[in-house]
Amino acid sequence: MKIDNSLPLEYSTEENSLKILGFWIFLGAEIMLFATLFATYFTLENRTGSGPTGAEIFQITPVLFETILLLTSSFTVGLGIHAMRIGKQKAMITFFSITLLLGLAFLGVEIFEFVTYVHEGAGIQTSAFTAALLTTLGTHGVHVTLGFFWGLFIILQIKKRGLTPQTTNKAFIFSLYWHFLDVVWIFIFSFIYLKGMM
Amino acid sequence: MDFFDRFAVPHPSIAIYASMAAIGLTIIAVIAGLTYFKKWGYLWREWLTTVDHKRIGIMYLLSALLMLFRGGVDAIMMRAQLAVPDNTLLDAQHYNEIFTTHGIVMILFMAMPFIMFFMNFVVPLQIGARDVAFPRLNALSFWLFFMGAMLFNISFVVGGSPDAGWTSYFPLAGNEFSESVGTNYYMIAIQIAGIGTLMTGINFITTILKMRAPGMTLMKMPMFTWSALIANVIIVFAFPVLAVLLAMGTLDRQFGTHFFTMDNGGMDMLWANIFWVWGHPEVYILILPAFGIYSEIISTFARRNLYGYKSMVGSMVIISLLSFLVWAHHFFTMGQGALTNSIFSITTMAIAVPTGVKIFNWLLTLRKGKIVFTTPMLYSMHFIPLFTLGGVTGVMLAMSAADYQYHNTMFLVAHFHNVIIPGVVYAMLAGLHYYWPKMFGFMLNEKIGKRTVWLLSIGFILAFMPMYASGLDGQARRMYTYSEAAGFGLMNMISFVGAAIMAIGFVLIVYNIYFSTRYESRDISNDPWDARTLEWSTHTPVPEYNFAILPDVESNEALWDAKKNGHVLFKGDYEKIHMPNNSGIPFIMSCIFFVWGFSFIFSLWIPVIVTTLGIFGCMALRSFEQDHGRYISVKEIEETETNLRGA
Amino acid sequence: MSQLFPAKQVLGFVFSLLLTTVALTVYFLDMSFTAGMTILLVTAFIQAGLQLVVFMHAGETKDKGAIYTNVFYGLIIALVTVFGTLLAMIWDM
Repeated sequence: MKIDNSLPLEYSTEENSLKILGFWIFLGAEIMLFATLFATYFTLENRTGSGPTGAEIFQITPVLFETILLLTSSFTVGLGIHAMRIGKQKAMITFFSITLLLGLAFLGVEIFEFVTYVHEGAGIQTSAFTAALLTTLGTHGVHVTLGFFWGLFIILQIKKRGLTPQTTNKAFIFSLYWHFLDVVWIFIFSFIYLKGMM
Repeated sequence: MDFFDRFAVPHPSIAIYASMAAIGLTIIAVIAGLTYFKKWGYLWREWLTTVDHKRIGIMYLLSALLMLFRGGVDAIMMRAQLAVPDNTLLDAQHYNEIFTTHGIVMILFMAMPFIMFFMNFVVPLQIGARDVAFPRLNALSFWLFFMGAMLFNISFVVGGSPDAGWTSYFPLAGNEFSESVGTNYYMIAIQIAGIGTLMTGINFITTILKMRAPGMTLMKMPMFTWSALIANVIIVFAFPVLAVLLAMGTLDRQFGTHFFTMDNGGMDMLWANIFWVWGHPEVYILILPAFGIYSEIISTFARRNLYGYKSMVGSMVIISLLSFLVWAHHFFTMGQGALTNSIFSITTMAIAVPTGVKIFNWLLTLRKGKIVFTTPMLYSMHFIPLFTLGGVTGVMLAMSAADYQYHNTMFLVAHFHNVIIPGVVYAMLAGLHYYWPKMFGFMLNEKIGKRTVWLLSIGFILAFMPMYASGLDGQARRMYTYSEAAGFGLMNMISFVGAAIMAIGFVLIVYNIYFSTRYESRDISNDPWDARTLEWSTHTPVPEYNFAILPDVESNEALWDAKKNGHVLFKGDYEKIHMPNNSGIPFIMSCIFFVWGFSFIFSLWIPVIVTTLGIFGCMALRSFEQDHGRYISVKEIEETETNLRGA
Repeated sequence: MSQLFPAKQVLGFVFSLLLTTVALTVYFLDMSFTAGMTILLVTAFIQAGLQLVVFMHAGETKDKGAIYTNVFYGLIIALVTVFGTLLAMIWDM
C-alpha cells in the first residue's frame, strides 16, 4: 500500500481517496432521495383530509431543541475531525462521543414529538399530509439512528486500533454523513416546520 | 392451513402448474448436477464469492439472457392472444399479469443487467484498470440485483404475479383493486434490485473518475466509457427517486397510509408523476451505453476514428440533463394545464437534437470508411434507420396536443419498442458478438449471426409497424381482446407472425452459442476484430489482473496508435500487483435480503425483523473486518504472462 | 486546548446559529408569505453552503471539481424535480 504523507491520514492511500469520492457521490444520491420526499410533502401538504393541518400540530419548542442539538453535533463532529488531523486521539474520541450523545438526544426529542402527534390524532394513517410528514421526518430519523450505530462502531475501532489510514478514513466519511444529515435537517426545519407555522 | 393459503396463486391455470413443476425440476436438476460433478466448491470459490469484475459481468450476462427468455415467452403469449379477435387463449387476468411482468422483466431484469454486463466487463479493461473502485460492493450490487430478479420471478408460482402494468399506477395498484400480493412483489423485488443498481452507479463513477490509465484524460476516454459514465450519473440521481416511490407504495399497501389513495387527501396522480421522474431517465440509462457500444463497433468496422468525438460527448452530457426535464410527457392527458404540457413538450422535442447529432456522427464516421460487414456491424447498420424511425414517432408523441390521439394506444407501444429493440436490444446483441471472443476465447459464428440479424429485423418490422396503424385506428394498449367488428384482426395477425419470426431469431442466437462452443476455432488472436481500444490490448482470456503493466495512453484510440503509429503501450517492468480478496459476505447478505423481501411481501413480520437484524449484522461485520487484500508476486505474473503468450 | 477549537469552525458554528435565529424571525414576527419564504430560502441555502465548505471540506483535494459538480448537478435536478412536480400537480392543475 502506497502511503502519501503530504495528505491527511484519511486520504493517504489510493483506496482511501476512492472511498471519500465514492461517498460524496452517494451523498449526491441522498440529495435526490430527500428531494423526492420534499416534492411529495409539498404536493400533499394541504391535503389533510379529515386530519389536522401542520399549523395545528407543529410546536416551536421541540423543533428548536432538535435544531440546536443537531447543529451543535455537526459542530462537534467537525471538531472531532480537526482533533484527528492533529493526531489527538483522546480529544477526537471525546468530540465523537459528544456528537453521538447529542444525536441520541435529538432522537429522544423526535420520538417525543411523534408520540405527541399520534396523541393529537395525526398518525401515519390519518391523511396524505401526515403520511408525507412522518415519512420525511422518519427517513431523516432513521438516517440519524443508523449514523449513531455507525459512529459507535468507529469509536470502538479507533479505541482498539488507534488512528490508522483505515480508521481515520472511516471517521472522516462518517463526519461527511453527519454534516449532510444536518443540512437535510435545516431544510426540514425551514420548509416543513417554519413554513408550516408561518 | 390458513397460513399457507396466502402462498397459493389466486388465478391458477395449467400453465402455472406446469411452470411450478418446471421450476421445481430445474432446481432439483441443478442441485443434483452440482453434487454429482462435485462442483459446489468450485461454484462457491470461483463464482459466488468472486469480486472479479469480469466474472461478475459474465454472471450479469447469464441473468440477462435468462430473463430475455422469460420476457420473450411473455411477449409471444401476448401476441398469440391478440392474433385473432375474441381469442380465449388467455383470460383477462392472465393477460394483465403477462403484460405487467413482460415490461418489468424486459426493462429491469433483462436490459439493465445486460448494460451492467457491458459496464462490468468492458469499462475497467477499456480504461486500463485492474478492477473497479469497490470490488466487493460490485459483488453486492450483482447479488442484490440477482435476488431481486429471482424474487420477482417466483411471484407467478407463489402468491400471484403483479397485474397493474409495469408502471403500476395507483389507484389500480392499491389494495382496493389489486388484492393479491402481486403488487407487493413489484414494490419489494424492484426495491432490492434498485439498491444494487444504485451502488453500481456510485462504483462506476468513482472507477471512471479515479482509476484511468496514465495519460488518459477525460477527453481521451473511449466512447463506451464516456457513455457508461453518463449513464451511471443518471443512475445515481434517478434511482433514489424510485426507492422513495416504492417505499411509499409499500406504505400505502401494507401500512395503510394515504399517499396515493382516493380518500383522506391521497393523490393517485402523484404516483404517475414520481414514477416518471425516475422512469424517463431510466430510458436514457439504457440507451446511452447502447449508443456507446454502437460508437465502438461503427468506428472499429468503418476502420476509422469516430467522427465528432467532442460533439458525441457534449450531446450525451446534454441528454443526461434533459432526461430529468421531460417526465410529464408520459401523462399529457392527466389534466394539467397547457403551460405545463407546453414546457414538457418543448424539452422533449429538444432531446431529439443531441440524439440527432449522434446519428449524424455515426453516418459521417461511415463516410469514407472502409466498412467491414461483420455481425456486430450489421446490427449497427440495421439500428440506424430503424431507430431513427422510432425517434421520429417519438417527436410526434412529444406534441402534447396530438398526444391526446396517441395516448395509451398501440401507437405508443409501437414507438417505444421501436426505440428499445433496435436501440437497446440490437446494441446488446451486437456487443455480445463483439465481446464474445474476449470473454470466452472463440468467436460466435458469423454466418448464423448475420442470418439472425436479418430475421430479427424482418420480424421486428412485421411485428411493430402494424401497431402504428392499429394504434391510430384506436386500438388501446393493455386490452386482452377485441371484437371482430373493431377491424384490428389483420394488423394483429401480422404482428403475431412478426413476433414468431423474432422468436426464431432469438432461438438462433442460443443455437449459435451452442454451435460456436462446439465448432469454432480456439486459435484466435487477442485482437480478432482489429479494434482500436485498450480492452483488446491484453491477453485472451483476460488474466485476473487485466494488465501486467498499466498501459500508457495518449489518445482515445490507444491500441490503434500502438498498432499503426508506433506508440508504446506497456513501458517498464513488472511490479507486484495488489488484488482484493474474495468474500462470501455479499452473497450471504443478498440471500438474507431475499428472505427479508419474501417475508415482507407476505407481511410475515417476525422473519422480517430477524432478517433485518441479519442484514445490519453483515454490515457491522464488514465494518469491523480488516482485509487488506493480497499481492500477486512478480514471479506469478511472469509465469502467467509466458503461458498466455505461448498459448 | 485552544488548538482543539480552530477559529474557522467556531466562527462557522456561530454563523450557523445566527442564520437559525434569522430564520426564526418568520415565526416570531408577522410578515407576508413572500417575505417569509425569501428569508427561509436565503438562510437555508447559506447554511447548506456553510456546512459544505467549512465543515465538510468539499474543496480540499484535487477531486474538488468532481465533488462540486456532483453536488450542483444533484441540486439542480432536485430543484427541477420539486418545482416540476409542484407545477404539474398543483399550480397548473
